[in-house]
Amino acid sequence: MLKLENLEISFATNRGSLHAVKGVSIEIAAGESIGIVGESGSGKTVLSRASMGLLAPTATRTGTVTFDGKEISSLSREEVRETWGTGMAMIFQDPMTALNPVRRVGSQIMEGLTVRLGMSKADARKRAIELLGRVRIPDPELALNKFPGQLSGGMRQRVMIAIALACNPKLLFADEPTTALDVTVQAQILQLLSELRKELNMSMVLVTHDLGVVAGHTDKIAVMYAGEVVEYATTKDLFARMRMPYTEALMKSIPRLSTPSGSRLPVIEGRLPDPTKPEPGCLFASRCPYAQEKCRTQHPDLTTDSDGHQYRCFFPLGAAH
Amino acid sequence: MLLPAWSRTLTTTIDGNTAHLRPADQTLLQIKDLVVEFDLGGGRIVKAVSNVSLDLVEGETLSIVGESGCGKSTLGKAILQLPAPTSGSIVFQGTDITKLKKKELRNVRPAMQMIFQDPVSSLDPRFPVSRAVEEPLKIWNRGNEAERSAKVDELLNSVGLDPALVRDRRPYEFSGGQCQRISIARALALEPKLLICDEPVSALDVSVQAQILNLLQDMKDAYGLTLIFISHDLAVVKAVSTRIMVMYLGKICEIATPDELYSRPLHHYTSALVGSVPVPDPERKVSATLLEGEPPSPLDPPSGCRFRTRCPAATELCATEEPMLRLAADGHYVACHHPRA
Amino acid sequence: MDSVKKSWVFRITIAWFTLIIFFAIFGPLLPLPKWDQVFDDALSVTPFKQGHILGTDSNGYDIFSGIIYGARISLFISFTAVFVGGTIGSAIGITAAYIRGKFDYVVSTLFNVVLSIPNLVLSLALIAVLATNVDPNVPTSTGRRIMVLVISLTIVIIPILGRIARAATLSWSNREFVLAARSMGSKDRNIIWRHIVPNVLPAIFAVAFLAIGVVIVAEASLSLLGAGVPDGTSWGSMVARGRNDIEFAPHIIIIPLVCIAFTVIACNYIGDVIRKQLDQRQAKL
Repeated sequence: MLKLENLEISFATNRGSLHAVKGVSIEIAAGESIGIVGESGSGKTVLSRASMGLLAPTATRTGTVTFDGKEISSLSREEVRETWGTGMAMIFQDPMTALNPVRRVGSQIMEGLTVRLGMSKADARKRAIELLGRVRIPDPELALNKFPGQLSGGMRQRVMIAIALACNPKLLFADEPTTALDVTVQAQILQLLSELRKELNMSMVLVTHDLGVVAGHTDKIAVMYAGEVVEYATTKDLFARMRMPYTEALMKSIPRLSTPSGSRLPVIEGRLPDPTKPEPGCLFASRCPYAQEKCRTQHPDLTTDSDGHQYRCFFPLGAAH
Repeated sequence: MLLPAWSRTLTTTIDGNTAHLRPADQTLLQIKDLVVEFDLGGGRIVKAVSNVSLDLVEGETLSIVGESGCGKSTLGKAILQLPAPTSGSIVFQGTDITKLKKKELRNVRPAMQMIFQDPVSSLDPRFPVSRAVEEPLKIWNRGNEAERSAKVDELLNSVGLDPALVRDRRPYEFSGGQCQRISIARALALEPKLLICDEPVSALDVSVQAQILNLLQDMKDAYGLTLIFISHDLAVVKAVSTRIMVMYLGKICEIATPDELYSRPLHHYTSALVGSVPVPDPERKVSATLLEGEPPSPLDPPSGCRFRTRCPAATELCATEEPMLRLAADGHYVACHHPRA
Repeated sequence: MDSVKKSWVFRITIAWFTLIIFFAIFGPLLPLPKWDQVFDDALSVTPFKQGHILGTDSNGYDIFSGIIYGARISLFISFTAVFVGGTIGSAIGITAAYIRGKFDYVVSTLFNVVLSIPNLVLSLALIAVLATNVDPNVPTSTGRRIMVLVISLTIVIIPILGRIARAATLSWSNREFVLAARSMGSKDRNIIWRHIVPNVLPAIFAVAFLAIGVVIVAEASLSLLGAGVPDGTSWGSMVARGRNDIEFAPHIIIIPLVCIAFTVIACNYIGDVIRKQLDQRQAKL
């Protein structure tokens, strides 16, 4: 469905060239869902924008993005736009800014239907009501006439999902869809996305900073650090056998109910390397508790073990040295 | 005259939800029957906080947990009189601060500080870090220029920032986590007794959340603080709190120690909150206790128990009679007619 | 900012402002005919003829001198009206938005009422009230006319800038750093001066420059209606006086019109530059 090959993206800034995404190769099959996990600055958002052909003009890109057999970079702007909505759709972190505050929910959902699919007004209205029902909004006909400001954060995110689903996309990008929401609503939205994906046989890319969010809702996970994919495996395999020390550290830092009260939480010391100053060794070396001399001087390549689990580490966890 | 046992419970409950309060002379802060109302105009009045009582013993951390709109932030701000509550008393270090005049209240302010959710909007974009942290000292004319500057360096060091590197930079040059550290340094400048943290980590990456939570713990020990920690996420407050108070639509549902609350949530709402915490385990099945829908409008709260519209155990009694907070186990209070076993 | 400074539009704008401000200040010291000196032998002379750089009008007044003296009056009126109106409006708007409640309600209602009256109608009415003498046979002096004009235009400006100040203050005073300052025990006066005013000021400046343009045009329109400065002293009144000559001596009306247009465009451009700077700074946050 979507295939990223050796994708490199950099931005020209006044402090020099900023390498945001480095040599990323990821593949998503039809109906599959993948989680892209990383901290702010890991390049996860740039990666998802690039996959949708939404890069800023200041960005330079090498490598290929293939969607549905067509290479995105070879398409004209017009053709890229064609794929939005019907091919790929996106939902964002903050549904308040992603929705137009002065237009009714109904007209925002119907816009895609009438413009892209050429539906009549009456048909589009019917379909909008159906969509709102689909995203489990109680009383869809009433919701149709509301303005985004009259809805709660969770309801707005549901409306965003309804808009994204309007033209039956094959692939849904969800960029931190629950970060701005309460945990109770987050659980509902994640549940909804999972159910919709199965019902509509859609592929999904779930971009987040929280490993806890992707655990129950994705088939594969790519962990990104400083623009690189540092671990890439099936969700089951990743959680069962973490190979990359960074993933382990990220996992440990999640606040949990099982943390004994009064205890200190494990943290990842230090911070992301400066993306404008390339380092020779492993990018995580300065923060890694297991780092050795080799890690500081040589850059590890992505290694694939026998069951397809990929990691970027000289001394992976669980291996004997 | 000796009253029968049932009438005693009745009098305490009619008295309001104060069963969980400890003797006033042991507390740093005691809040009784606090009500905060907002006038939306057109005769519509929202009761954001209704008759909440709580207390804090010096050195403890009370966490207030609930969904958006439950009144937890409003409660936190009302304690600081920002804005002042509609009714109720707030006794801080022996004085009821709701009754103070403007000037007297101002003198109490340094002892109570607050940290906010949005790390970027907490700092004036025009002020370099050193000036932001120095501001409270300037307001109170503490020390001379050199002393203040030394104090700023000390504060920045203690929150894990290198003064030499950050002093002259402006907020937009920092990440959310770093801005939050600056806010903490600023709040500590006046050496407060009570620090109210309003969702201090919910705008941050998971990996940074733990750093800030640890920092707050360290600061609590180093500066002898008493903390109120407001959050929508039970997992976040687990490690840091002494007591946790769960709120729903302006009312208290349950109060307990963290371990007690997680192992034995008595209120159905608390149990749903526990069930919504994302767990990094792909094998875990989705919790059956996942909450349906969203809280009803605080403009028109349900009669009786406010949670009954979403509660799996609701009965007729819940619609007619409001459940009062009562003791369920040692230090564990719940406001529910049909608590979970 | 650097890229803006390099642009030629910016340079022209700055050059134009420098030029008219220079003439407005030093005009009377230059070896030029007086603005009200009548050249009986040179009526409606086209530019660069008979020693008149920009020609003369049908009354024999030197247009170049008129423009220079007019710059004084036009700029004095507009800058004063915007400065005074802006200061008063901002003070009211910021205070209202900061303290909210009834005062804010009264202020914003008043602003809306004043804004609902068309600018020209309002200033005409004010001039009619303020500039009329008790004895209709005594004409009002030029000085008084100018004062009345400034006052009436100031009243027009107050709600325009006051509303901007109010809106900006509302958004800034909701920021958490303002709440933090209050929780630290900062006095309201200090919060307004240290945190609100400096953040609100750029927005006010951006609109104030647009307002200068509006006032210059308003003053010209009032002159056309006969309610402006007495004959031949502002750009607007030069246009008013020359409007009958448009067919045979169009330069009489075109020259002051061009001056008005250039100045208005320049003001709008400066306002735009300030606004863009403001947007960029906010985008960085």
